[in-house]
Amino acid sequence: MKKALKWIGIIVGSLAVILFLAFLYLIPPFYLVPPEEFVKQNSAQGPSLDQIKDPVQRMLAERGRYIVLRTDCSGCHTPVGDQGPKWDEYLAGGAKGIFGENHLETYCRNLTPDPATGLARRTDDQVLRVLRSGILPDGRPTYWRRMPWPFLSRWTEEDRYAVLVYLRHLTPVYHAIPDSTQGEPFADPNVTEVAYGADYAGHKSK
Amino acid sequence: MTFSLKSWCTILCVLCFFMESPQTHAGGRTAQNVQSAGLGKSIYDAKCSSCHGIDGKGDGNAAALLSPRPRNFTDGKYEFRSTESGSIPTDEDLIRTIKNGLHGTAMPDWDPFIKGDSLTAVIEYVKSFSPRFASEKANPVRIGATVVSSAASVAAGKRVFQKLQCAACHGVDGKGTNAATDEFMDDWGYEIKAANLTEPWTFRGGSTARDIYTRFRTGLDGTPMPSYKGAATDREMWDLANYVVSMGRKPVWSMSEEELKAFYAQLDKMNEENPVKRGKYLVETMGCGYCHSPIRKDGSIVEELKYAGGQHWDLYPFGNYVSYNLTSDKETGLGGWTDDQIVKFLTTGIRRDGSRMIPFPMPWTAYAALKSTDMKAIILFLRSLPPVYNKIPLPEKPNIFSYMWGKFRMLILKHDFPLTVYPGNAGTTKNGDVSALTASGQDLAKEERQ
Repeated sequence: MKKALKWIGIIVGSLAVILFLAFLYLIPPFYLVPPEEFVKQNSAQGPSLDQIKDPVQRMLAERGRYIVLRTDCSGCHTPVGDQGPKWDEYLAGGAKGIFGENHLETYCRNLTPDPATGLARRTDDQVLRVLRSGILPDGRPTYWRRMPWPFLSRWTEEDRYAVLVYLRHLTPVYHAIPDSTQGEPFADPNVTEVAYGADYAGHKSK
Repeated sequence: MTFSLKSWCTILCVLCFFMESPQTHAGGRTAQNVQSAGLGKSIYDAKCSSCHGIDGKGDGNAAALLSPRPRNFTDGKYEFRSTESGSIPTDEDLIRTIKNGLHGTAMPDWDPFIKGDSLTAVIEYVKSFSPRFASEKANPVRIGATVVSSAASVAAGKRVFQKLQCAACHGVDGKGTNAATDEFMDDWGYEIKAANLTEPWTFRGGSTARDIYTRFRTGLDGTPMPSYKGAATDREMWDLANYVVSMGRKPVWSMSEEELKAFYAQLDKMNEENPVKRGKYLVETMGCGYCHSPIRKDGSIVEELKYAGGQHWDLYPFGNYVSYNLTSDKETGLGGWTDDQIVKFLTTGIRRDGSRMIPFPMPWTAYAALKSTDMKAIILFLRSLPPVYNKIPLPEKPNIFSYMWGKFRMLILKHDFPLTVYPGNAGTTKNGDVSALTASGQDLAKEERQ
């Protein structure tokens, strides 16, 4: 009886280990959510634009939404958790990257119109200038590998404006983003850039 | 009188000294001392060099992705001048460009950030890249009184538009319709576009009749747009300027609901009629070149291999991934893929051999949102890219133990692993240089230095 129990225990135990290993091996990389589901979620993000009363603003925002989706702004500006991108922090920034030969450690900015931590603090000109020339509100240029502004610079001015209108209508998320800091040099001298997906901004509540 | 003329002069001088104008007049030679040269260089290096290059050659690390290209200062050749064609610009011309930026390009309005002495210093530094500024004199053309726009002037301008054959480049309607060509090159061999005359907010040198007249009078040096000094009278150029101003349409930010609806409908129709052009716009603005071109250590892309893939990403624990060759090369690029295979990959991440791409770094999960017409346009544009041979290795998977251990750390121990990007081309080009994954960055960087 005891022996049988022992064997059952061994079998159950090893089954559990095998199942666990199989689970580890088989789950889709990065996300526990299958990519197909992720695709659906990705294109369903953003606020309902039907609520915008002004029809001109609504049309512009719809245009902007399509541009933001196809340009995959969310790929960097939405932090990633176990279940894939954290959609409740859509475009709220926080992912970390270390770029360039001076190893500047930078964090994706909060693109939502939050008055304390987001784009509501920036004027239209400031936002458009970043999207056109990569010049930050304080006049510093951005390294293009960190924020690929040369591609956005090729937008027509009218498309850029549509993106601005859309960003202004996102759901505001309070998400304070740290300033960039001097990072450690990379162990491998061949490396010039690394990027992390998770949220490094930390504090999310007021 | 207690105050003599002399003392009045002294008081005025003292006043002038204290009333230092924030916009130092270009004639003021304050910048010629050594201290100011140091200031000019430090501002230039911090703000200008990422596009115009540290040596002013127009080859900064972002330059290859911009169109039009950043100015190469070493030739002393400038488009937006108030001086005769072929002449160097005045300081005022350079100040205007830096302060206002060049609309329709990546050159920003530096006015809020570079002012006063800094502006003077940076201009002196920019001028120092070309010997022409030391040996030549800028001769501003005399621009007479503005010819005020009127129905008669606009009608006369329309005739001048025909006489000077503006439509050959700008199209009969100012936006390229029936133009002889839409492919233009500047003096450095880079692609540029003829201005769309219906969109005044994209006019680099400004959109007033006076700005436009100045362009006709002085030409855009370095581009196919000549000076019309000999070909048209002053009056004709003013009429033409008034006509061009009259061609301007409303931008989307000033449109009414009906206007915007009609504008977008027309835009969609145009995009469907010119899918290659649309595809080019999409590929260039969606940032395909960010990954699908090898980069050097300084971050600049290797232009000969633009869209030919070869950028190496290490996605521990999932292996090493090298961006694919998007050019039309039959053997190593998308030339060997059918349209359906490309669409399937871009919407589901399934390669033509049936294997799956993880949802990162290639954001196919976002491209699934593309409209089918846009998807077709992108494919048509990629097919139009000249073939470049660059054989891309298949993803290099780690062994099963390191894979399992990595996944365990990632999912159970919650380690966040970085995506690591290596400079250099990890593909194999025609001349057979097989670049090892990590060594390649060094090799390329070395080549660059030589």
